[in-house]
Amino acid sequence: MKLEALKVLFVDDETDFLETLMKRMRKRGMDVAGVGSGEAALDYLKRQPADVVVLDVRMPGIGGINALKEIKRIDPLMEVIMLTGHASIEAAIEGMESGAFDYLMKPADFDELFCKLQDAFKRRTIQKQKIEKLGNFKRAEQKKGAIST
Amino acid sequence: MSALLNHFKKLFIKKPEPAAGDVEQLRIEFKERYHSFKLLLNANNRALEIMADMERVLESGQPFGMAFVRASCTAVSVNVFNMIKHIGNLSKGRYGELDKRFNEIRQKMDELLSQKKSMKDKRLVIPIDAVSMEMRDVVGSKMANLGEIKNRLQIKIPEGFVITAAACERVIQDNDLQMEIDRLFQSDEGDNVERRYALSSKIQQLIIRSRIPDDVAEAVRRAYARLESDAKGKVALALRSSALGEDMPESSFAGQYRSELNVGFDSIFQAYKEILASKYSFQAVTYRLNRGIKDEDIAMCVGCLRMVDAVAGGVAYTRNPVDIADDAMFINSAWGLPKSVVDGSDAYDLFVVSKKPAGKIIRKEVNTKKIKFVCLPEEGVCQTGLTGDQMDLPSIDDKKALELSELAARIEEYYAIPQDIEWAVDKDDAIYILQCRPLKQIKPLKTDLPEPEFTRSHNAVIAGQGVTASPGAASGKVFLVDKTMDLLQFPQGAIMVARQALPIWSSLLNRSAAVITEQGGFAGHLASVAREFGVPALFGVPGAMDRLNHGEQVTVDADTLTIYKGEIKSLSTKSGPKMNLMQGSPVYETLKRVSRLIIPLNLLDPDSPYFRPVNCKTLHDITRFIHEKAVIEMFNFGKAHNFSEKSSKQLYYNVPMQWWILNLDDGFKKEISGKYVTLENIASIPMLAFWKGFSAVAWEGPPAIDGKGFASVVFQSTTNRNLIPGLRSAYGARNYFMISKNYCSLSSRLGYHFSIMEALVSERLTENYISFQFKGGAADHQRRLGRVHLIAEILQKQGFRVDIREDNLIARVEGHDMEYMKNRLEILGYLTLHTRQLDMIMSNNAALNHYQQKLEKDICNILDSK
Repeated sequence: MKLEALKVLFVDDETDFLETLMKRMRKRGMDVAGVGSGEAALDYLKRQPADVVVLDVRMPGIGGINALKEIKRIDPLMEVIMLTGHASIEAAIEGMESGAFDYLMKPADFDELFCKLQDAFKRRTIQKQKIEKLGNFKRAEQKKGAIST
Repeated sequence: MSALLNHFKKLFIKKPEPAAGDVEQLRIEFKERYHSFKLLLNANNRALEIMADMERVLESGQPFGMAFVRASCTAVSVNVFNMIKHIGNLSKGRYGELDKRFNEIRQKMDELLSQKKSMKDKRLVIPIDAVSMEMRDVVGSKMANLGEIKNRLQIKIPEGFVITAAACERVIQDNDLQMEIDRLFQSDEGDNVERRYALSSKIQQLIIRSRIPDDVAEAVRRAYARLESDAKGKVALALRSSALGEDMPESSFAGQYRSELNVGFDSIFQAYKEILASKYSFQAVTYRLNRGIKDEDIAMCVGCLRMVDAVAGGVAYTRNPVDIADDAMFINSAWGLPKSVVDGSDAYDLFVVSKKPAGKIIRKEVNTKKIKFVCLPEEGVCQTGLTGDQMDLPSIDDKKALELSELAARIEEYYAIPQDIEWAVDKDDAIYILQCRPLKQIKPLKTDLPEPEFTRSHNAVIAGQGVTASPGAASGKVFLVDKTMDLLQFPQGAIMVARQALPIWSSLLNRSAAVITEQGGFAGHLASVAREFGVPALFGVPGAMDRLNHGEQVTVDADTLTIYKGEIKSLSTKSGPKMNLMQGSPVYETLKRVSRLIIPLNLLDPDSPYFRPVNCKTLHDITRFIHEKAVIEMFNFGKAHNFSEKSSKQLYYNVPMQWWILNLDDGFKKEISGKYVTLENIASIPMLAFWKGFSAVAWEGPPAIDGKGFASVVFQSTTNRNLIPGLRSAYGARNYFMISKNYCSLSSRLGYHFSIMEALVSERLTENYISFQFKGGAADHQRRLGRVHLIAEILQKQGFRVDIREDNLIARVEGHDMEYMKNRLEILGYLTLHTRQLDMIMSNNAALNHYQQKLEKDICNILDSK
């Protein structure tokens, strides 16, 4: 997988952690950006593209779960990984049911996160291809229908 | 398994070719399915790793906290959730019942994890006059004990009040601290001492900076005003921690929390917050972790009692803590406040008073005391040096010692268990009890003094000095501790040597083989905790810091007050294995209970009608069920679509082999159009490694069997329906590989046994795993079992984790680099071929030894040939 193509947005209100995370993932060849809240993440995604979002759960403002729901509403194909210091089965399942790709816990295992980012990106790529193919198929069907009439 | 293999058989029924235009769509669909399958395998592997981790900590006795329990339960739930999602994608929602089972199990897990002691009494402050033993969940055990002896035994204790557990909860809630504390704990990695030190400091700062809610502040103000009004003037207070769960017989928390002495009203709230924060002091966090005590079960109550400006003070033990047979009373006493006795910072006097006949001083030790702690005129306490006669004079006279022993005996009689009592004598010669708690007594180990010849020949460095603060003996390298930084550098298994027996060193006890101090006796906090932890301790050894060299190997025999150079195994092993402090603790019990919903595997046999989602009782059952079905779903795709590009090919290795291969993704080097694939066209790293081992050594044919072995096979062949030709049987199926470049799964039958191997081997080290299952055979049960144990022994030597149930062997290895994993696959390949029919010779020891040696020799050769 070409990592140059992988754009990741990290969202965490803990500045030190955010910076370490971005530095470590940048070193592995990813194109990274970071913001400190759910609102800032939504704002960023309106202006800039990203392939995967890594989202903290407990943040001031709308918080991680609401941000996740909003991101998935705007772009259902966006893959979001929750990365949190908040180990709760209930919160984790709520996140997963809201469409998170995975729910990882701090302290972050950078190798694991790196693999999850690749997997999330691959899933997004496959989903996009599938929709594109479906679009082509529908267009061909419509064209066939137009000719036959 | 027959269900799985029947599915494979149906693959070979010819289906109409798909329309050419659909092939690309099928390709994408297959890609999506394979990706889901891969994610499902990752989640399965991760879930199994977490379960293994949980089992490991439950068995090992190593300390862990609720953060570990919560993180493990959350992580395993997320992975099972992912597996259910992926099997839903692969099967188009065929197993909807799994959702229901999963939700039921996780609700039960949630209930177990969120169990918290309820706090019914909402009073924020309670006068000590109104406190009794039944209120230990409201005011903490320390204050409940004091209230009890004051109000029911009319024993003199200082006047005052308690800031309750409800007040502590109000402070935490009002400042929204709990979530942040939990988050910081979760970030604390395992046994990393430096991180724990930073974590402790961060949490303490959070509490010290917090705001006291108005209602709590007002309640404290009113209680203090009442004390002032009773005393008709200003009063100074001693603020003492009284946490829930403190001062229990098995977990004393001795010296783990803070006390603030001689506090005026202006400093009361600051002192209160300092004591609340001391719940998270480095030594308290370490103590709770080592004892498996839940953070959330500990609310910090604070006793605010009038300060006793003591002339003398100390600790009375109503029995000998290190000798259960000794019922004499031990009165330890120092000049000024009792602080130097409890924190072991100086020598003190000892009066031993007999119970039978009652009230007779049978031993008196008046030691040279260099310091005393006294109250400052305004606020606080200070340490002053003693000079002249006072150093060597007894800090109390015999009369006072006997008076104290009478009081102590009354308290012991009332509670009906031995007591550890802190006391003070004020300027008017009145005795005040400041604290009383159960005293843990331990049985002494062998205490015979060594023969002089033994001490000479074994190089005794120190002999006959100090006191046994905690019995036993141990060997290790000396580590001199002097400053706080030493807490971070102290190595596992070292002998701690310190000048004073300070409570802060208790955080090193879990890492110490033994403790030696220059000051202190068995009455201090460090001594109490050393006894709780079962760590041998020899205290009061003059000049120990200078006489023992940092890094030198010594053996400490605390029972005989002797320290030897080097290691003396006969002594260091007499204490037996280290105590398992976790077992039975609240954290341990929570993990044990919740693991019952996660770890046990009930769905063992996929052929059984019981193998259904509705019968999944644990998360492990769910993963087992899903894994089995996922493999079938992957094969079903070819069956449903006759997608020749993704249908299985027969392996051609010199001749067509009885091995079929399904390429999941990039397992072939190029597209294969015919019905055969050669080994040269296989790109799968794990399959090639397995095959390398499989073909490394030619099979010599079946082992020479004895008459009984042959009879056993004949008997089984005629009675085991699975072995009857012509009947539908799992044994009639062929061998199947499913492969991609980094993945391989194999269902095989060679001879009469089944094996299932699955491996993921790539540069992603953390995801690498091999699992191997082996079952069956044609010989009788005992012989089959013998073979399974033989294979288990070989695999364990090669780093596999092996679990055997009946004749079913499950082995796993994970997390190693590619080269290591490839070697393990070669071994599995070799064993798959060479253990066939070995079950027949399992009762013949000579033959068994011969084959075991041959197998191990061949494996060595395979591994050495690189």
